[in-house]
Amino acid sequence: MNPVWLKQISAVLRLEIKKSFFARRGLWIYFLALIPVLIWGGHWMVMRYKAERMHTHAQASPGVTREKLLSIKQGMTTAEVEAILGHPASSRTVTRRNGTEFKYWTYSDGTTTRNITFRDGAVQRLNTEHAACDLQEDTVIFAGIFQFFYLRLAIFFGCMFVFMNLFRGEILDRSLHYYFLAPIRRDVLVVGKYLAGLVATTVIFCLSTIAQWTIFVLHFDPINRDAYLQQNNGFSHLLSYVGVTALACLGYGSVFLAAGILIRNPLITAATVLIWESINGILPAALRQISVIYYLKSLCPVEIPMQQGVPPPVALLAVNVDNAPPIVAVLGLLALSAAVVFISTRRIKRMEINYSTDN
Amino acid sequence: MAVYKRTYKGYEGAQTPEWSRFLILPRYAWESLFKQRFLLIFYVICFFYPIGAGIFLYINANLGMLASLIEGAGNLKGLEIDGKFFYIFSSVQGSLAFILTAFIGPGLISPDLSNSALPLYFCRPFSRTEYVAGKLGVVAFLLSFITWIPGLLLFLLQWSVGPEGWFAKYSWIAPAIFLSNVMWILLISLLALALSAWVRWKVVAGALLLLVFFLSTGLAAAINAVMRTDKGSWLDITSNSGRISLELFRVREFMDYSEGQGISIEEAWVAQFCALGFCLWLLWKKIRAYEVIK
Repeated sequence: MNPVWLKQISAVLRLEIKKSFFARRGLWIYFLALIPVLIWGGHWMVMRYKAERMHTHAQASPGVTREKLLSIKQGMTTAEVEAILGHPASSRTVTRRNGTEFKYWTYSDGTTTRNITFRDGAVQRLNTEHAACDLQEDTVIFAGIFQFFYLRLAIFFGCMFVFMNLFRGEILDRSLHYYFLAPIRRDVLVVGKYLAGLVATTVIFCLSTIAQWTIFVLHFDPINRDAYLQQNNGFSHLLSYVGVTALACLGYGSVFLAAGILIRNPLITAATVLIWESINGILPAALRQISVIYYLKSLCPVEIPMQQGVPPPVALLAVNVDNAPPIVAVLGLLALSAAVVFISTRRIKRMEINYSTDN
Repeated sequence: MAVYKRTYKGYEGAQTPEWSRFLILPRYAWESLFKQRFLLIFYVICFFYPIGAGIFLYINANLGMLASLIEGAGNLKGLEIDGKFFYIFSSVQGSLAFILTAFIGPGLISPDLSNSALPLYFCRPFSRTEYVAGKLGVVAFLLSFITWIPGLLLFLLQWSVGPEGWFAKYSWIAPAIFLSNVMWILLISLLALALSAWVRWKVVAGALLLLVFFLSTGLAAAINAVMRTDKGSWLDITSNSGRISLELFRVREFMDYSEGQGISIEEAWVAQFCALGFCLWLLWKKIRAYEVIK
């Protein structure tokens, strides 16, 4: 490669990277990246609050064990329950207008809480809460949110904005002609801008992935945390999630870079790519490979089991008939991105600016 | 006449009645909108389904006549036209209305704001409410012609060609068509206007409309999954609209997925009104005769 091109690419990168990170109209992508972190953070706080409350309840009702808690059955009387568990940690009585009396008793052994509802002195309903989350269940939930929310919505729309803004933003600001008048090849400009967008999105979204995973791991109790990190390959999951995030930025970035050069209205591009990516699972094998999500799904570390009764649109998103081997997935995505960026570099050579029609 | 004698004179001609002033904005907006060929073609396409549905209703009611014309058609049995038929009609037309709004809505307010043209409106006897009503009218009237108006026409058609007693049995469908479609039109129009006011780049505002609808669903699902709750569904404006429509059209078989998973129907109504109120508040914050720049 010509050394001048390298210098020019680094110059464009320097100029563009600031714009990609701190553009005023692009600040909301930080919000997109932050949403899952906030959700997991909220969950962590709720679980901590629950654990503290259970601890207080356990101190208020000494002698309560898990076996005793589980021995309570529907239909038992208040006296029978009190004989087994003793005085409740917290209790509340409500009498309805029709004279029906409801009693709400809570017992805890520090790890499990049982909320018992009595109706006219007999157990009507039992509700069990656990202080610790279920490791397997939460691992699948994390994978589900990563695949369905983070990859398909947050990263998708984040990349759409950042990469389409690389050229469309310049047209909006009426500043693209400065680049076109400079002694720099247009394909070099495309590569420089693409790299700037890639660095910005990769840093923002990978940091968010790491933050999500950290909170996810921290919210477990020490036993579950060790089990996840040592037996369930927690660190390898993190590596996979960060890798998939970076590859998603690479893949979607190239697609939206090309779209920003070829198409004026991002709505058409977003809708078309979104539909194409959503129906990926039911496409013929050959067409399935011309998409980003096919490779990304193949690289995700946790498979999401489809339960019965899941709405068809969600089931459609989860379908992955035959996963590509990891090496094929990575190379396939790189090849796809390279091809799309190459098309963009060819196309920009014929680009003409008309500021009046683009605002 | 000397130039210095050309002093200001107030307009002395006939004035538009106060109640109909907001209609001036749609009149001019439609003129420029329908100059775009793509939009015109798309709008025409939006009428295909109502026309097809009308033909279907007619044939469905006249299968006896069809049997006399076509051999072997005697065994055909007419379909029961109930809430489900009109629910599907509203869903299809509602989707088309959303696409139409995504193209029209974002360009309505942003040019006025980015070119600082609002003082030109408000220096005339034209209030902020009339401005918002006028801009809303641009979208709402257009969408009405492809949603609840053809829906009600189909209802009337079915009433006239349908079996005896059909109207008495299904008279509740008419208010359902009107209410569900008007709620949907208000929601998407106000959201598009709010985005248009806050995001001055109109092409981005269109994409953001798409983002808001998908993100609200995704966000609600994520909150529900992580927090083990169903309160996240308050944010899911798309599903809440669907829930309201299903309830209004009394379509029980499509409710399997939503029952027990989301919020109650009363909560869905409250959530929708909150969303509408939030959009109005966003518009109110932005639509001002002047802007203080710090």
